[in-house]
Amino acid sequence: MPLLEIDTISKSFGGLKATKDLSMHVNEGEIVSVIGPNGAGKTTLFNLITGVYTPDTGDIRFQDQSLVGRKPNEIVNLGVARTFQNLRLFMNLSVLDNVLISQHHNLKPNWLSAMLRLPAYRRAEREMRTQAIEKLAFFGPRLMSFRLHQPVYVLSYANRRRTEMARAMATGAKMLLLDEPSAGMNPKETAEITQIIRRMRDEGGYTILLVEHKMNLVGDISDRVVVLDYGEKIAEGNYRDVVSDPKVIEAYLGKKAEDDGQTGEVDV
Amino acid sequence: MASQTQRAYIKWRNWLPGLLVLAILITIIWRISYLGQVSERFNAAFFIRAFTESFKLGSLYALIAIGYTLVYGIIRLINFAHGEVFMVGAFASYFLFSQTPYGLLTAFLMAATIAYGLMRVLELWRGSMTDPVVLAGGAVTVLVGTLILQSVSLPFIVAILFSMLVTGVLGILIDRIAYKPLRTAPRNSLLITAIAVSFFLQNFGLLTFTNRQTPYRPETNWNAPLTFNVGGNPVITNWLVAVIPVITIVLVVALTQFVNRTKLGRAMRASAQDAEVAQMMGVSVDKVIATTFLLGSILAAAGGAMWGLNFGSLNQPAVLGILPGIKAFAAAVIGGIGSLPGAVIGAMVIGFSENFLTAVFPRTSEFQGITEFKDTFAFVLLIVVLLVKPSGIVGEDLSEKV
Amino acid sequence: MTQERLEMAKAEAASMEDNRGRNTVLAVIGLGVLIVVLALLNSIDSSKLRDAIALFAIWGIATVSLNLINGITGILSLGHHGFMLIGGYTTALLLLDPATKANIENSARSQMTDFTLGLGLQESFASWGLGFIATDGTLWVRFLIAILLGGLLSALVGLIVGFPSLRLRGDYLAIVTFGFGEIIRLLASTRVFAPFTNGALGFQGVPSEFGKSVWWTCGLLALTVAAIAKLKYSSFGRALLGIREDEIAAEAMGVDLAYHKVFAFALSAFFAGIAGGLWVSWLGGARLDFFLFQLTFFFLVSISVGGVGSITGVLLGTALVVFVRQYGDPLEQVYSLDTWVRFAGVVLLLAGAGLMLYRSANRTGRRLPKAANLWVVGSVLALVFLGLNTNYGALGQWLTQFGRGAYLWAALPLLLVASRTLLNPQKRFYLDLVAVLSFLGLVVVVGSVAGNTWATNLTLVPLALLIFLPSETSAKADVYWFGALGLIALLLGSVAIDLGVLQTTFRGFGIRAIFLSVLLTVTMIFRPEGILGRAEFSWAWLFNERRDKPNDEERAQDAWLSNPELNQQAAQEAS
Repeated sequence: MPLLEIDTISKSFGGLKATKDLSMHVNEGEIVSVIGPNGAGKTTLFNLITGVYTPDTGDIRFQDQSLVGRKPNEIVNLGVARTFQNLRLFMNLSVLDNVLISQHHNLKPNWLSAMLRLPAYRRAEREMRTQAIEKLAFFGPRLMSFRLHQPVYVLSYANRRRTEMARAMATGAKMLLLDEPSAGMNPKETAEITQIIRRMRDEGGYTILLVEHKMNLVGDISDRVVVLDYGEKIAEGNYRDVVSDPKVIEAYLGKKAEDDGQTGEVDV
Repeated sequence: MASQTQRAYIKWRNWLPGLLVLAILITIIWRISYLGQVSERFNAAFFIRAFTESFKLGSLYALIAIGYTLVYGIIRLINFAHGEVFMVGAFASYFLFSQTPYGLLTAFLMAATIAYGLMRVLELWRGSMTDPVVLAGGAVTVLVGTLILQSVSLPFIVAILFSMLVTGVLGILIDRIAYKPLRTAPRNSLLITAIAVSFFLQNFGLLTFTNRQTPYRPETNWNAPLTFNVGGNPVITNWLVAVIPVITIVLVVALTQFVNRTKLGRAMRASAQDAEVAQMMGVSVDKVIATTFLLGSILAAAGGAMWGLNFGSLNQPAVLGILPGIKAFAAAVIGGIGSLPGAVIGAMVIGFSENFLTAVFPRTSEFQGITEFKDTFAFVLLIVVLLVKPSGIVGEDLSEKV
Repeated sequence: MTQERLEMAKAEAASMEDNRGRNTVLAVIGLGVLIVVLALLNSIDSSKLRDAIALFAIWGIATVSLNLINGITGILSLGHHGFMLIGGYTTALLLLDPATKANIENSARSQMTDFTLGLGLQESFASWGLGFIATDGTLWVRFLIAILLGGLLSALVGLIVGFPSLRLRGDYLAIVTFGFGEIIRLLASTRVFAPFTNGALGFQGVPSEFGKSVWWTCGLLALTVAAIAKLKYSSFGRALLGIREDEIAAEAMGVDLAYHKVFAFALSAFFAGIAGGLWVSWLGGARLDFFLFQLTFFFLVSISVGGVGSITGVLLGTALVVFVRQYGDPLEQVYSLDTWVRFAGVVLLLAGAGLMLYRSANRTGRRLPKAANLWVVGSVLALVFLGLNTNYGALGQWLTQFGRGAYLWAALPLLLVASRTLLNPQKRFYLDLVAVLSFLGLVVVVGSVAGNTWATNLTLVPLALLIFLPSETSAKADVYWFGALGLIALLLGSVAIDLGVLQTTFRGFGIRAIFLSVLLTVTMIFRPEGILGRAEFSWAWLFNERRDKPNDEERAQDAWLSNPELNQQAAQEAS
């Protein structure tokens, strides 16, 4: 029984077909990577799942509930959270506040109770803080103590990425969509984030769908890899099989005869 | 399932505006035929007069609306102060025809301002401020202008032309002082600044122009009475119903030609598409923006003079610009902000909704008429258009990308 | 592993509440001090002061509530005057006493206006068995109920106005809120609502003991501030701040945009309605032109100048605006026009000089000497005294002489720049030195001429040139613009009498509004986030508790984490 099931979805912008009859699934507890050259429709796929776009045809089901036509915040409520490729943190708020905001939708007490600081709200707030710090602690001492209270704009790029991942985790989602979690990180930090993604699955129990360009990260942790090109799925399977698939190599490197210089980032 | 409802929703938004327009047209036709039966007063001549008045009012709004649309097209700013630029234009022409001849120094300062405005206009044609023609034009204007301003009482047409140049300079100044330092600031800051400039000009006018209603009666025969017969009934109006639309058409055609034909016009269109890329391609965006303000203000000044002539008086400076300004802005949005033909079409929509609708729902024995609501029409139309079709009638979609 | 993390997180979360008890005690003490200060101010026998304090509180309620939309949620709303109108009229109609009502009825009859529904509102309530709201009971209970009802009605309209915010963003939304505010006012004068509002005429006779009372207004302000501050620092406030920072991200993190935006509008409108109720009481009547867009403009100035999103800043901004409004009236006395224009010229020149000063500091990257701040304060004071005319003692008289005070003040930044140049000799040193010396010479000459004469103004021309030409710091074009405008104004001042169109003496209408709009523009240009920015008063700030600053141990660990290879020593210390 797959956790997330994508059933022949299509999406076009004007004349451009960004996604064409794409079907795939993610099982519970799996780490699935979506790879493909630039412009293959990976981020569009994320936007379709999280409700930023609505697919023209097809259906997306999460735990047997259709996500199509729901607003992004409703989809988070159902248990799918994401990170963004170009980091969309709340720059002027502290790290802790960033992570607390993503728990807001689970808050039981109403605004009046919050305004009057009733005991129920206080308890909820303490619980939210505990959760937030626990999520941030996934990344070791990096975002602890004084960093909790620093505004995000003073953080390094890698720390911002970590904050964004913690923020997505704190939503209480079952499934995380990570859009290039290692972008802008050096090899050491990439290796660390690889470990953390694995721990997120093993310790946190999250199911993870990620878009990534760094092949060693993908090869390290993926249970399954889906390759997209021009919005279509051209290959699926375990990493070794996929990277040796001639169609995939062609998509990345182009045919020998008509090499138009379009190459993806491959560092196998 | 859900995706189908989504698509149905989009369709609904597509045909709703058309349906509304159709409904309004049917209502108007029904009202005209109905009123014709009710009373002799509502004959063809009555509606022809309402039509010409609406067209005239629409032309006036168009002159102001273009300023909004040009500025929004290029720097995405709702120039709140444009209504006040219009106000200054109206008063500038008033002071030019009613207070001349001036003393020597005043005449010189005024002539210098006019000369600067003229140089900026000539620059559009010659391409550079240091071009011999531009410099010569400026120098001659300073000398001749000073002589004229201190010796004769200006004829109305000259007063209008001069006031257009003076107001054009004001437009450039506003941009230079208040908006240019904020080019990279958040758009809300820019809008707040525009509001501040608008308040500044209102109160500045109150301080230096006048604080009461001012009669506006130049010596001209443009507003001479005009009577013609329609179906045996006389339509009593004045020549302004022809003059104002003609002036509007001439200016709008000239502006369109400028935007489409000249190098600077192309630069303007390029900047409207993407200012950053235009800059990288060697377009001087600052110059384009200054030009935009110059042209918008020139048209607004023409509108101001026509406004005064049409109503025979100018309201006090603190209120004169507000309502025409916001209505013209509504016109620009309705037409599709950023588009020149859109501004004209929108202005006509506002002019007709304000004037023609009140004519087809006139005050009769059993109905009080809708005149007192006419100022709210522009706001209601503005809100409805923004909610239903923010891109307006002919405009492009300016929604943000994710 | 997970368990360990959780325990650690619990301890950390609990430690954040360490200072709660102390803060509560401090809050109580602070409130007590405020009450004492208010009582002292209230005991001063000056109705002008009391009015100013009450007005500060009323507008404070309005700005703090507008700040909830504009500053905290980040939606520019321009329709606050509409919300205030609704609350104001509701309160006014419910508070009228029978005698006043009879008067109003008579005058309405003589003016042929229909005001039956508004005047009958109290009886209607009585006939529904709700007499305690409008007719029976003590006045202050009725007042409380009235402003509550006004606030609720206003919140209802706020709900409606909030809905466009779901589809529109930024400036378009600002225009729509402006449109709503104006529609409310325009509709109130039409025949549909005139029976409630008495049209454009309005009515007088609203009891003013609440709006003019320091205790009532400040008490309600305290409640408003407490409510909004508590909200801002709760989970809901964080969600609103999230919407301000990044709408798309907030939605992707589960924040329901529709609910929160409309909620912000409704809550803000509720407090605006209360402010409206106090406002009509302060004015003693309700008229449509008490609720012009101008009102929202003043609030906008308060927010933008004080600090967008900061409640502390907004209150400071309100204090400034109210001060200008209540105590700026000497500015609007009758002066000759050339005085005005030269005044503007001096303001511009001072602004240019100040700008040059700060540019100089920015370029050299050093902090300005304390004297520079003194100079700014002095300039402002000089200008205030210039405005206050000669009624204010010798100092005012001295400063009113344009030929002296302004020149000396304008000289100071030059002296500062010059002294810096002397200490750090650079290429431009001699040029600066010559400039400063010739400037000082001019000051001496000018000082001997003095007074508001033609000659004085002409001597200002080379002076201004000196300010704006010599120093390397004035390379930025803005400074030249200020200088050029100042010069133009001075020249205009000299020829103003010559301008036939302009009267020779002037009553300054709207000088205060001009001042505020200039202030707003300058703030937007130089500090768009307002003077206080996002800074907020808190006890932690008072005690300088910076949780975001690492101690030495943390700093060492952090350095090691970010770069172990380069920080061997830090790594050893940390381990």
